[in-house]
Amino acid sequence: MAVNRYTKMAYANADEMVFGKAKFPVKGGLGLEIGAGYTIPEVNYAPRPQAGVSKEALVKEYERITKDIMARAVQIGFPAISLESEHVQQMSNNPDWGAEVAHVQKSILEEYHEEYGIKCGLRHTIGDIREDRDFLALRGAKNDVMLEAFEKCAAQGADFLSIESMGGKEVFDHAIIRDDIAGVLFGIGVLGSNDMEFVWQNIAAIAKKTGRIAAGDTDCAQANTAMFIAGGLLDKNLAHTTAIVARCVAAARTLTAYESGATGPGKDCGYEHTIVKAIAGIPISQEGKSSTCAHADVLGNLTMQCCDMWSNESVEYHGEFGGTTVQVWAETLGYDCALMNTALKTGNEKVLRDLCMLSDRYRDPQGYVLAYDNAYRVGEAIAANGNDTYLRAKAAAEMCCKILDEGIKGGKLILTRFEANALEAVKKDLAALPTERNKFIEQCMAKYKAEVAVFRPENYSL
Amino acid sequence: MLDFKKEDIATILVRYNVAMEKTMTPDEAAEQLYPKDPLLKAVAVAIYEGEEDDVIDALDALLDCGKAPLSLIDQALLPGMAVVSNLYDQGIVFLPNVMMSADAMLEGIEYCKSKTKELPKAKATIVCHVAEGDVHDIGKTIVAALLKADGFEVVDLGRDVPVDEVVAAIVQHKPLMATGTALMTTTMYAFKEINDKLVEKGIKVPFQCGGGAVNQEFVESYSLGIYGEEASDAAKAANFILKNGAGIDKLRDAFHNH
Repeated sequence: MAVNRYTKMAYANADEMVFGKAKFPVKGGLGLEIGAGYTIPEVNYAPRPQAGVSKEALVKEYERITKDIMARAVQIGFPAISLESEHVQQMSNNPDWGAEVAHVQKSILEEYHEEYGIKCGLRHTIGDIREDRDFLALRGAKNDVMLEAFEKCAAQGADFLSIESMGGKEVFDHAIIRDDIAGVLFGIGVLGSNDMEFVWQNIAAIAKKTGRIAAGDTDCAQANTAMFIAGGLLDKNLAHTTAIVARCVAAARTLTAYESGATGPGKDCGYEHTIVKAIAGIPISQEGKSSTCAHADVLGNLTMQCCDMWSNESVEYHGEFGGTTVQVWAETLGYDCALMNTALKTGNEKVLRDLCMLSDRYRDPQGYVLAYDNAYRVGEAIAANGNDTYLRAKAAAEMCCKILDEGIKGGKLILTRFEANALEAVKKDLAALPTERNKFIEQCMAKYKAEVAVFRPENYSL
Repeated sequence: MLDFKKEDIATILVRYNVAMEKTMTPDEAAEQLYPKDPLLKAVAVAIYEGEEDDVIDALDALLDCGKAPLSLIDQALLPGMAVVSNLYDQGIVFLPNVMMSADAMLEGIEYCKSKTKELPKAKATIVCHVAEGDVHDIGKTIVAALLKADGFEVVDLGRDVPVDEVVAAIVQHKPLMATGTALMTTTMYAFKEINDKLVEKGIKVPFQCGGGAVNQEFVESYSLGIYGEEASDAAKAANFILKNGAGIDKLRDAFHNH
């Protein structure tokens, strides 16, 4: 399957972008159409620790989870819902385990769809198991097992196929905790994009063969690592200005899935997806205020601005006062979507979008840059350099810095001295980078082969 | 597009980090903490700036004065690193500064070791690992770096470490403490298995666990478990044990905040 680069924007301007509507909606599952004028709750969950002891125990756990969610969805009256099973390692390392889970889940969804007419779908996010004990092993036997897991899960009922691919993480992990922006660009922008071309062409081929949807990726392994190390306002581990630069670079990387055959819905934890939607017009899942069960962030309302599916990210399955956790969070997501869908039906979607965006716009530099108008500008920088994964990642980082500078100058985005200094350091480092891809790769290969013991260039075809 | 008037923003959100930021710059704060001796100060400044070559140059100056190579670890390198750790604890410098300083200090330690046949004595040994089935190791990398920066010897078993391998390493190295990190709910169950095998062997080493899906409630479900909420808690717990002993109840009292 060919890789078709994006060099133009899907939307003529940022204001065209709203939640629940994508330029290129995706039909899938049991009656769902994502991005076709309504938003859909996407419930995500994790089995209890002891559930991993055997295949039978794990399958039973997912059966309980799925029944609980569907029962709550019809009790409250939600017209549509989607489920996401992010594989625990046992499900991907043993493709039959994942396939059995998909089969059991899909059977339950089919029963509910048949009995109540509720539109529903199932995403399986296969674990990126392409690792040996000490090194990434992106090509070879582990890749074969991973693709087998994709194919078997698709065959057994998974409608939307996703992954959180890990290419470039070995260099990124070294770089991000040393404020090394060249390493961030190399790890995410070059290595990550390179690996995604390989991964997503294969997934797209499986989707085509099985009649499923090659949905999308997320830079969870890298940009989310940066975001979580950065933490809250008072955490002292990474400047939030550095974290948002990594996020913008991640948009240039995550776009590669859609250039390699994926069609959306993009995966929830890809906070870079508003930028990607602006370029590719694909529907996206997002998480924010209703994923506080999984983690804290500083842009909980803002991420709702252009979502097509709305997710809780993950919650461990157990009991709460209001039911099991998956029921509680499914209900929260469902009501959020009901509000967005009401806005869409009454012509108020742009008002609600702006309220969501504005409530977080100045909370943190990350929210400021991901606000849809600024995200669109980062998208333009990527598309203008679309044919070169290095140059577009660099352009995304530079545009991010420019947007932050403008925000500071405008007086509404206020940074700490530490964040401002980190921003200046990033700008200086970016200015010193080569303008040619080959030169950059040559420099990085030499540097990271020496500095990162676990970096194996043979994982990438550069 | 909707927007706020500037004066309205603070009614919606408060940038407490801006309001609370220390007035003193990191350089000014470091200056107050450096050793007075100019040669020792040169080592500390080089570590603070994360300049490995400058650390070696500063160590050479001390060696030229007749200082014993290994003595420089305790007298120059660790005190230099302590300046950075102190500033990190105060929130004046951030993690990347600590990591770059730790790299420079460890380079200095290797240099001192290369100048003698004697072996340095660490504060104590800590065994670190990432749970079996889990390959997410950035948390463990930070934990190990902060422990080394504090003068502990780290036996780093890496990631996706089988339960029996962790147990064997603890039997072999008799560490002051062991650490385990995990991102996922199903992989963290390995901590309990490690705990049970250690207990079966009569080994009562504090076992600090944290990361991703790990929470205090789960860690308290096995008898040697101590919850580590932040990466920096590992060095704090190790120092606590050196001072107060390895009693699990005392450690839980000190580190379990929820």
